[in-house]
Amino acid sequence: MQAALCATCLVDQFFPEVGEAVVTVLRRLDVDVTFPEEQTCCGQIAFNGGYRKEAADVARHFMDVFENERHVVVPSGSCASMIKVYYRELFRDDPDDLERALALGEKTHELTDFIVNVLEVTDVGSLARGLVTYHDSCHLLRELGISAEPRSLIGGVSGVELQEMPNADACCGFGGLFSVKFPEISIAILDEKLDAIRASGADTVVANDCGCLMHMRGAIERRGMSVRAIHIAELLAGE
Amino acid sequence: MPAEEHPNKAAFLQRVREALGRSDPLLHMPDHPTLKAALPRQEEKVRTVRARIDVLRAQNLKKLAETATAASWHVHGPIAVEEAAEVVAGIASGLRAKHVVRSTEDVFRRVNVDSALRRSGISPTVLAAGRSRGRSALKGLAFEADLGITGVSYAIAETGTCVVTPRKGIARLTSLAPPAYIALVEADQVLGNLDEYFALTRLVYQKSRGRTPTYVNFISGPSRTADIEQTLTIGVHGPGVVHMVLIA
Amino acid sequence: MAQVKSAAFKKASTRALHDQGIQHALNHVMNHFTEARASAIAADYSDESWDAMRTRAAAIKAHTIGNLDYYLDLADRSIRRNGGHVHFADDAADATRIVIDIAKRHDVKRAIKSKSMVSEEMGLNDALKRAGIDPVETDLGEYIIQLAGETPFHIIAPAMHKTREEVSDLFHDWLKSAPTSDIARLCSIAREALRKHFETAEMGITGANFVVAETGTVVIVTNEGNGRMVTSTPRVHVAICGMEKVLPAIEDLPVFLRLLPRSATGQRTTSYTSFISGPRGPSDEDGPEEFHLIFVDNGRLNLLKDEVLREALSCIRCGACLNHCPVYRKVGGHAYGWVYSGPIGAVVTGPMTGMKQAADLPFASTLCGACRDVCPVKIDLPKLLLHLRHRLAEGTGSGERAGTWMERLYIRRWHDAVKTRAALDRSTRLGRLLQKPLVRRGKVRSLPLPVISGWTKDRDFPALAPKSFGEIWRDGLGPAREPE
Repeated sequence: MQAALCATCLVDQFFPEVGEAVVTVLRRLDVDVTFPEEQTCCGQIAFNGGYRKEAADVARHFMDVFENERHVVVPSGSCASMIKVYYRELFRDDPDDLERALALGEKTHELTDFIVNVLEVTDVGSLARGLVTYHDSCHLLRELGISAEPRSLIGGVSGVELQEMPNADACCGFGGLFSVKFPEISIAILDEKLDAIRASGADTVVANDCGCLMHMRGAIERRGMSVRAIHIAELLAGE
Repeated sequence: MPAEEHPNKAAFLQRVREALGRSDPLLHMPDHPTLKAALPRQEEKVRTVRARIDVLRAQNLKKLAETATAASWHVHGPIAVEEAAEVVAGIASGLRAKHVVRSTEDVFRRVNVDSALRRSGISPTVLAAGRSRGRSALKGLAFEADLGITGVSYAIAETGTCVVTPRKGIARLTSLAPPAYIALVEADQVLGNLDEYFALTRLVYQKSRGRTPTYVNFISGPSRTADIEQTLTIGVHGPGVVHMVLIA
Repeated sequence: MAQVKSAAFKKASTRALHDQGIQHALNHVMNHFTEARASAIAADYSDESWDAMRTRAAAIKAHTIGNLDYYLDLADRSIRRNGGHVHFADDAADATRIVIDIAKRHDVKRAIKSKSMVSEEMGLNDALKRAGIDPVETDLGEYIIQLAGETPFHIIAPAMHKTREEVSDLFHDWLKSAPTSDIARLCSIAREALRKHFETAEMGITGANFVVAETGTVVIVTNEGNGRMVTSTPRVHVAICGMEKVLPAIEDLPVFLRLLPRSATGQRTTSYTSFISGPRGPSDEDGPEEFHLIFVDNGRLNLLKDEVLREALSCIRCGACLNHCPVYRKVGGHAYGWVYSGPIGAVVTGPMTGMKQAADLPFASTLCGACRDVCPVKIDLPKLLLHLRHRLAEGTGSGERAGTWMERLYIRRWHDAVKTRAALDRSTRLGRLLQKPLVRRGKVRSLPLPVISGWTKDRDFPALAPKSFGEIWRDGLGPAREPE
């Protein structure tokens, strides 16, 4: 099966190792991964800021790049939601682009959704070690309704035990623009999340979104906490 | 004579209309299922409701006892109608009630609460204004009483609710002002759920050509508040102790 | 109208974050509400699923609001037929004038009030006082904040931020009661204090949870019994409500009576639901001789006019979106600066009171969507917040555009950088050069850039990777390519 990887701008620019992990996992599952090289960003940053003209412009470029693919795989619940849910809103008054957006949305999958629901695999044959807790990224959970898929994939990793944290579905306080506009509130929300992670006793917190991870890691590192915050692809790539 | 139309009404509604993207009033009633059901259809609906209530009477009564208990009612019975007066007198004595007020629903014709109370040394008063008692005196009496007793129009099993409909002989304050309250519920007054109540009520409204009770109260347990530190406290403005006497 | 302090959201939220009393109350009360709601919903209630009820309630609301002029007219005619008076107030000042006129006509010295959010919008208590009328809040929470001279902290738990000690002090100062830490005792102090007002006040003022158009019935949902008192003992009853509170027929009520208490306090039902269809009848034993209902606009037209925001008028004021909002749970209600807080407050405050002064509010959300999931009428709050952000950034008219030039500059730079891959690669190369002095071990500990510098106060920021994923792909991760 062929699938085009949409790396997302965060992975592309800041966390390329996550992209490499995605490729490792998908290739292990015999997926012929392609990377349309003209890709840049889905436009969510501008859309969430209210700048829809700029967002639409970038989203059109995104559609140009990806619309001829059969499957588009995105290692982020947030970017996948932008494409699958919020392009509808963005192109509400533009029937032609709306139609393109709907078609693209249909074949766009967040990574774990793709593995579990399209490839129908829950054991990706990976090996890791430790006690892992899973953080539900908000858009993945509430825009796309995906919460069982990542958990079953984590459950399929040999050597790993999944230990739920309290309120795993509570927001980590990132919220993109929000974390920049209201850093103090953002951190206060994060504190509760970090407490929950600590309470789980896990040594590793896994999430499906580099936004949440960048936010969590930023504070974990600043405070010298010992827990690791990693993308689910990084866990699944282990062998 | 209805009150005059408010001078701002027409302009107000016109602005609403324009905000909705229309310039003229609707010519017809908008299509909405509950509003559209005219008398024949409502009658048919209520026939089904009544049949359902008949069939489910025993279940509804049992469910009411459960939901009412969960809502912190003290539930008595179901008991035979002959025993009801004594049960009421027993509750009143247990509460050491001295000033008891009651209303005048039909149930009091079948349940002679007054004589049972008198046998316990309590003389109840019907809380009603009359030639000898003005409305402010009625208020005073209600606020002095330590127990209020009423019948109900209906009880609703779904929510543990007594429906009390104040009118002549049934003061609003009887079930409200005293710190303790007893509701007398007869088995044939028990409905299964809220939908049934409102279906019946709407039919009454339609049949009476647009007349509706001025005031209806759903009473679903004691007065409660959690406004201080989210700590549940019973009996803040209304009765803190509520008894429901179910009469089979 | 009540003062709008939403422009100070940032300052006020910082203050709240450092207020231990507020933090303690939020930690305690919010979980209490969310747990109570969850178990109420898990319990058995009707033949309809929770989700199906929400869908139906949302449809009823959308229908009613979509034909609001019709239903307001129907409600007006029904209530007047029942012997009541109906008023249509364009704004807070209008509504206040109407209340005071009625009070003056009846020579009212004291007005007892049951909870009404619209009266909070109006700042009615202050206006009544100025007119020589003594307003007394009778909902325990409202009474406490009235004594404290504050505004509600939460839609349904107005005094949730007050400890029993603070309440005891307030009662001691105002009612000369002996200090106590016994909550039941505090309740009975309030009961005694308010009883004499129930006996003597000439006017009762309430809100309305619903107004049934066909029968002309005002529905009030309460727990304490003060709502019943206020609608039973005074000579005059004035109900004040937003114009969106109307519903077509009484058979539309059950679904709302199921959704509201479960969403709000986690109760199967509240202690009391009162249905008032006018003044007392000629043979009734008690009740007000005169009944007035005031439908208030006060900025609601601005929501109605906007096809996206219109949905916010479906709100039944249960407070569930507050209780589940990660932001509200940290900053509480006062930070939002007006009457409504949390996600719904962030949506309605700007359109109702002026977009610019409330420009921070639509951004004060992580867009996590928890509010939408719990909303009993399925208001798509994240969508509405995004729509408001759009209006603030690109809206028509300088009256509402609030984005700073700096923000626009960032967006333009970003837009130019991601237009094509070549542009992006150029920007990345430049970025790597510029970040050099800031990077220590792959992290940026301080970002000296306007707007975004806040990020690194308590968090590290990742450095741009030495090689982007695109470069890694081209350099060998991807399939081997022909030499160029």
